[in-house]
Amino acid sequence: MQCANVLLGKIVRSSVLPFAAQHGMKKNLFPLSRTLSLSLCLKQEKSCEPSEKLDLDEWKKVMKSGLQEEVSETVLEPKEPSNLAAARETLEMWRLAGRAVPENISEEQLKTFMDCPSKSAKKKYLKYLHIKELHKENDRRKMDEKRERRLEAQNQATNTDETKKSSFIYLSSSTMDKTYNWRAAQSMTFGQPLVFDMSYEKEMSIREVINTVKQIVLSESCNRRSVDPFHIHFCNFKDDSLYHREFIKHYREAWGKLLITVTDQCYTEIFPKDKLIYLTADSPKVMKTFDHDKIYIVGSMVDKSIKTGVSLARAKRLGLETAALPLEKYLLWSTGAKNLTLDQMMHILLTLKDTADWKKALEFVPRRKHCGFVNKPVKELKKTLDLINTLKLRKGREEVEKQFAKNHPKK
Amino acid sequence: VQPPEKPLQAEEWNKLREDFQLPEIFEEVMLNSMIRCNSPIDVAKSLLTDLAKRNGDIAYNVLIKYLTLCVQQGQVSEICDVYDIMKVRFKMLESGAYNLLIKGLSNSDQWRMALTLLEEVKKIMIPSRMCYESCIKAASRHQEMKLAFELYKEMLAKDVVPTLDVLQSFFNFSRGMKDAELQKELFGILLYLRENQIYPHKTFMRSIKLWFESIPGGNWRGHLTNIKDSGQCPVCKHQLEDSNLTAEEYSNLSERIIRDVIHGTDTYRKTSPEEFEAFQTFVENRLPFDIVIDGLNVSHIKSRKMQCENLFDAVNCLAKENARLLVLGRKHMLMNSSNWKTEIMKEMQNKADFFFAENISEDDAFLLYATLRSGKHCRFVTRDFLRDHKACLSDSLTRRLFRKWQRGHQIAFSSVFSQQPAFRYDCVVQTTGDTWHIPYKDVFEEKYSYEVPRKWLCIQQK
Repeated sequence: MQCANVLLGKIVRSSVLPFAAQHGMKKNLFPLSRTLSLSLCLKQEKSCEPSEKLDLDEWKKVMKSGLQEEVSETVLEPKEPSNLAAARETLEMWRLAGRAVPENISEEQLKTFMDCPSKSAKKKYLKYLHIKELHKENDRRKMDEKRERRLEAQNQATNTDETKKSSFIYLSSSTMDKTYNWRAAQSMTFGQPLVFDMSYEKEMSIREVINTVKQIVLSESCNRRSVDPFHIHFCNFKDDSLYHREFIKHYREAWGKLLITVTDQCYTEIFPKDKLIYLTADSPKVMKTFDHDKIYIVGSMVDKSIKTGVSLARAKRLGLETAALPLEKYLLWSTGAKNLTLDQMMHILLTLKDTADWKKALEFVPRRKHCGFVNKPVKELKKTLDLINTLKLRKGREEVEKQFAKNHPKK
Repeated sequence: VQPPEKPLQAEEWNKLREDFQLPEIFEEVMLNSMIRCNSPIDVAKSLLTDLAKRNGDIAYNVLIKYLTLCVQQGQVSEICDVYDIMKVRFKMLESGAYNLLIKGLSNSDQWRMALTLLEEVKKIMIPSRMCYESCIKAASRHQEMKLAFELYKEMLAKDVVPTLDVLQSFFNFSRGMKDAELQKELFGILLYLRENQIYPHKTFMRSIKLWFESIPGGNWRGHLTNIKDSGQCPVCKHQLEDSNLTAEEYSNLSERIIRDVIHGTDTYRKTSPEEFEAFQTFVENRLPFDIVIDGLNVSHIKSRKMQCENLFDAVNCLAKENARLLVLGRKHMLMNSSNWKTEIMKEMQNKADFFFAENISEDDAFLLYATLRSGKHCRFVTRDFLRDHKACLSDSLTRRLFRKWQRGHQIAFSSVFSQQPAFRYDCVVQTTGDTWHIPYKDVFEEKYSYEVPRKWLCIQQK
């Protein structure tokens, strides 16, 4: 009987047999399948022509017919510890249900998933993996397309067989690297120091540390490419810390050859205290000009959980001067926190050093966070901004109208 | 897309699908709109039949959508069928399907099957609170109160927070039963409300009242009332619990405030050790205060007035009856400016003690410390809800203590200097054995977290 079922299932799936034949045969072969209730049949007959009667429960038979086959397929699976395997199953079912779940998941990721303390943490982690997977997939697709295009272009080039002549020397990337390194080496001896304070590892989650390192890598590369680089110091840097491991992941062998100073000493031990300025968004003091004789300190911290005042506390403890960027003075701030990413900070500081032009430097503040530069007195602009916001949100509109009526009384 | 009204033939579905922009997700979109319109189940069936004949298979997410429609319409036999199919087709199901199945089956005479499903869910994860809710309601609907309470306790043990609906259903279905054990369990629920400072809404309150009055031989009578400011119940003349903390709670709270709020992970974040020490000696030398004022907060009450005038008004208003005042401020208040006149500041310093913190320090933390250090009678003035400080406390028990203390000791000023008094009595479910007092929310859902209900249910045994 079972063999017959499997066979039939296969036949049904390949849909060789006409529908009428399946219908007739299966009624006999499947005692399980439910018959239609009488009332349903009657309703059916009213709505359709009698010649083409619709069997509404047909789908159930089809679903049940394909069963045995499926079950035997799923038995053969790589052995895994039972709880991991169960988690993998659940994930698979979630994916089938259309949730944001990655298609492939490694054992390590699965363990992280199971260690998540709450349901929402699990959901978040899965979504993160899912999006990461989508990005990877997209990148791969784009790469393939690019390669194809390049091959096509090459083919065309060989066909036309044209040789280009140019009077300029072709600068390969390694030549450029040499120039950059030369500059960076010079900055190691003559450049203005810039300190990254690497003492925030305890304050951050693993994801935050990873993001921090990514931002620092970006900052370092843009520093290297600038005309007059800073001499970068990583202070309070502990060997074998999470920072260290992440840096090695990014730089590999190049980590040892980087033209920066890495030390486990504190900046107060290396530099005179009165020359240090700690940059933090929480500082009550606003930076007016970029001072070429001072040593600026940037806290290497990504703060996703809003820990206000952590870096200010550090500066207070050491009795250092602090400063914040004059964002309010030059920009009409709209949304977002005033703390910027480390690479944005680096761009801003480099531009300030080269040009001392605040407007040019603050171009690097993300556009979404502000509505442009201040050209009128701030108060006036604030008023228009508030007006725009209230009109946009339709909130407090009456209040605005009332204010208007007060300012322009009817005679 | 508008779902059809009658079951369609394969050709008709085909036509619809071809007209649709994205044929791959046609079934999903169609089923979604069927769920939205609550279409007859036969229409969905005809779509599934068409799909099954075309592909020889129906995807899991489509089955789930169909199941949603069945649950929505309470089609029990269909739910069972879908479950049968899923069970054999897939090795295990995921939480969404279980939620639906449990919800659908618990409302039918097949409710015991929902319980077995719940057991199955427990094997792979912690069931959602909706799962528990469905099962508990089903059990209590069939008068299996013991089973219902077992599930309820299991839920609490797993840190799943029960909905008010679950708690209400216990009272609804226990009406008129004479069972000492059951009575104890229901009192337990009322104490759960007390411990977690949950206020029942009006319909829930009515369920509680009806249950009390239905206990055979219990002679309970319930009345709706408002409690006077003095804390006396106008119905039974009983005095409500006062808002003071016990000595142990009090010392516990002050210790925690110093540890978690003022010091936290780093004392430098809110103040500095030197400053805090200076403040401590300042307070110790002048104890005890009657009222502690958040100077900067109070100075912003009326925006049209000069800030120091606002503060001056407040100090004058509170300085009656020889009350000892402490005003907390920041150093910038001492600089002569358009908002802070030195003469007025001098005059105020004759009437009250002042402590000026550094401009970058947090004065709220000092406010809490000074008030707690002065003792139980001392109150504080600020319009701030102090939520950020409450959030610094590490466990929920201390946070609740903080709220209770805050309710009893905070004086809030509205724009005209009318004081909103601190509550003298504590706003929680409370009992003396032969009376129960239960605060409730008048409106079904809306109440701000800082508001306390003013309406009460008084239940007494005659």
